[in-house]
Amino acid sequence: MKLRKLGGLALGAMLVAAACNTGGGATATPGAPAPGATQAPVDKGTLKIGVTLPLSGGAAADGQPTMKGAQLAVDQANEAGGIGGYKLELMVLDHAVNGKYNEQQGAQDMQTFVGDSAVVGVVGPYNSAVAKVQIPISNDAGVLQCSPANTNEALTKPEFGALDYRKNFPERINYVRVAATDDIQGPAMAVYDFNTLKLRNLLVVDDVTTFGKGVADNFQKKFEELGGTVQRVGAPADTTDFNSIISAAKPETDGVYYGGVVTSGAGLLLKQLRQQGKTFPFTGPDGIVNGSGKAEGALIQIAGAAASAGSYGTIAAIGDFPGRADFEAAYAEAFKNDADFNTAGAYSGPAYACATIILKSLEEFLKTSPDADQAAIREGVRAWASDTSNTFDTVLGTESFDKNGDTTQPFISFYVVDPAAADGAGDWVFKEQLNFAQE
Amino acid sequence: MTTTTTVLSARPSFVETFQRLRLGPYLFVLGVAAIDYVVIGPNQFVNALTIGAIYALVALGYTMVYGIIELINFAHGDVFMVGAFTSMFVLTQALGQDGPIDSPGMLAVVLFINFTITMIALGILGAAIERFAYRPLRHAPRLAPLITAIGVSFILQNIIQIIYGPSPINTPQVIDPAARVEIGGVSIGVVNIFTIVTAVLLMIALQMLVSRTKIGRAMRSTASDRDAAQLMGVDINRTIAITFFIGSALAGAAGVVQGLYFGNIQFTLGFQAGLKAFTAAVLGGIGNITGAALGGFVIGFVEVTAGALGFFVWGQAAVFAVLIITLVFRPSGLLGQQLGERT
Repeated sequence: MKLRKLGGLALGAMLVAAACNTGGGATATPGAPAPGATQAPVDKGTLKIGVTLPLSGGAAADGQPTMKGAQLAVDQANEAGGIGGYKLELMVLDHAVNGKYNEQQGAQDMQTFVGDSAVVGVVGPYNSAVAKVQIPISNDAGVLQCSPANTNEALTKPEFGALDYRKNFPERINYVRVAATDDIQGPAMAVYDFNTLKLRNLLVVDDVTTFGKGVADNFQKKFEELGGTVQRVGAPADTTDFNSIISAAKPETDGVYYGGVVTSGAGLLLKQLRQQGKTFPFTGPDGIVNGSGKAEGALIQIAGAAASAGSYGTIAAIGDFPGRADFEAAYAEAFKNDADFNTAGAYSGPAYACATIILKSLEEFLKTSPDADQAAIREGVRAWASDTSNTFDTVLGTESFDKNGDTTQPFISFYVVDPAAADGAGDWVFKEQLNFAQE
Repeated sequence: MTTTTTVLSARPSFVETFQRLRLGPYLFVLGVAAIDYVVIGPNQFVNALTIGAIYALVALGYTMVYGIIELINFAHGDVFMVGAFTSMFVLTQALGQDGPIDSPGMLAVVLFINFTITMIALGILGAAIERFAYRPLRHAPRLAPLITAIGVSFILQNIIQIIYGPSPINTPQVIDPAARVEIGGVSIGVVNIFTIVTAVLLMIALQMLVSRTKIGRAMRSTASDRDAAQLMGVDINRTIAITFFIGSALAGAAGVVQGLYFGNIQFTLGFQAGLKAFTAAVLGGIGNITGAALGGFVIGFVEVTAGALGFFVWGQAAVFAVLIITLVFRPSGLLGQQLGERT
């Protein structure tokens, strides 16, 4: 009797927990049926483009505008009649658990994509830690993955250990990215802090994750090379109380660099800095640039518009691309009914470009082998996209990939918070961009 | 702990008097605090006292419940979290606040209403949890209520997650977080002082309640021998329910100050804080109210000192190292007594 009651309660707790963990993920909204579909000569069926991003809770400010970038590209392709007789469907999986990206869920989602033979390519992920667990899976299966936002250099470059991730097929590149890497992004902000903001003594806090620690290491190395001094602290993701770090900052500290993402605590660090009366610049990588003060879970929303003044961040992608105005207008038109994410985010364009790259590879492959089966299409798309001699006309400009799958046009863009933007809620505004191409 | 030598001589020596007063643990904590003050400086000391006060308030609930029914109420950290959300609800929905209040009179009224409603609401929640989740299992093997407590913890987290979503949410800081006062040449945040003073006042009130009132006597007698207390006419169910009410109300107060101090809350915050408060309760001697209060402050010192010395990333490890060291070398805690195994 007693035991039965206990069992019921425990079961109830588990059900509630399960319901909640999956509850946030119901965001898959494939585009409306394409009106132009009648023009396609034959209807060969549907192929899927996967999207693997953190989409709910605090991660929504990162994931949602990025997902919608990919969605826009797929919707437009369907409206134009599909590709090679195929219609396209966006298959969206959310790997945010409790509002934060979750590696295990990301790995599980990648297994789902791999197991669905209609999936020809995947856009994502957003966080480097998730990429680390996904690449071995997609590499084994030979599924093309294009990340709009991953920046950790170890994911692609063999000299930083990338071969550990594509261990089974090191020569078969299946992971490409349009974002620049952290060995560029970190130092870029170091130069900006030193030369433009004239900072000399920085407090550098990282969130002890793949991405955060990596980018902070790169930043610190360059900043010290330039002649600045760094006081380095690790604050694990989920830290809520940064007061002891702030009080321990040396008196000569004139700025902060945060290596990490907002869901790790960047917003709280900024908030507590301002509460302790520290008004110096708050700088960081793309992890802190995540939407306006209106977006749920955004840095500016947590810290407040006024406190966010004096915040500078980088985006590891081209900010001012040629078709930017048109793209943003198309985005705003397509998602005007979405209350929270109706303006393009910093990684919407890159996600759109990733989807374009997958679709273009599909189109080119189907031109040569129109009757290939799904397994052959999957391999054909991967091979076309990773071929270093191919170029892609994307919204970001002409993209191509090097032998590791990295973009040959690594841009870093600088953003600053304008507290008056977004009707006074505060937003990130583009300042300038630099191309770090090797040649 | 017990001094086994039977002293039959007329006058106890100075040393014996000292031992009877059992000042050792207090001096130990004071010594730790004094050394820490020198090591980390006044600003960090205030940081430590502030979060220590929050941990202490939460730890009281753990220790009271353990003292009376020997249950480690793992849902208590989440009760604290619900307190923070209730406080936010009261401030934003009921009182329509969204930021600092300038007028001191107005501020006092808002805070008073907020504390009263939140503490009563959380007290009722705690008593309800006891009634529906723990009372039916009171005579079950100990593992059963422990697992139930974990279940309750999940239920509370998920209810808040469903209502408020998984993102961190800003909560109004009605005490201007940037307001500071100079005390002895040290600039201290007003909200820090408020947090510490509130916590200490609540602890004193609790101590008075337990040691001076009838209900306090009922609680103490139930704790020391439930059956005997029942035979003496103490209403056991009522006493245990009141214990849960008070412990949860204190967690509610901790939730209020958490919101005021950090200005941002999330449905997951109860887990970490709960574990640390539990550590504080064990350190102080689980079942002992004064011990839990002291333990909370010690945990605050440990955590902040790690951060102040540049080992922030080890702060959590240091706190839980304290838990392990306590359990290994002094399982009864700073102020606890060796209890015979009762079940």
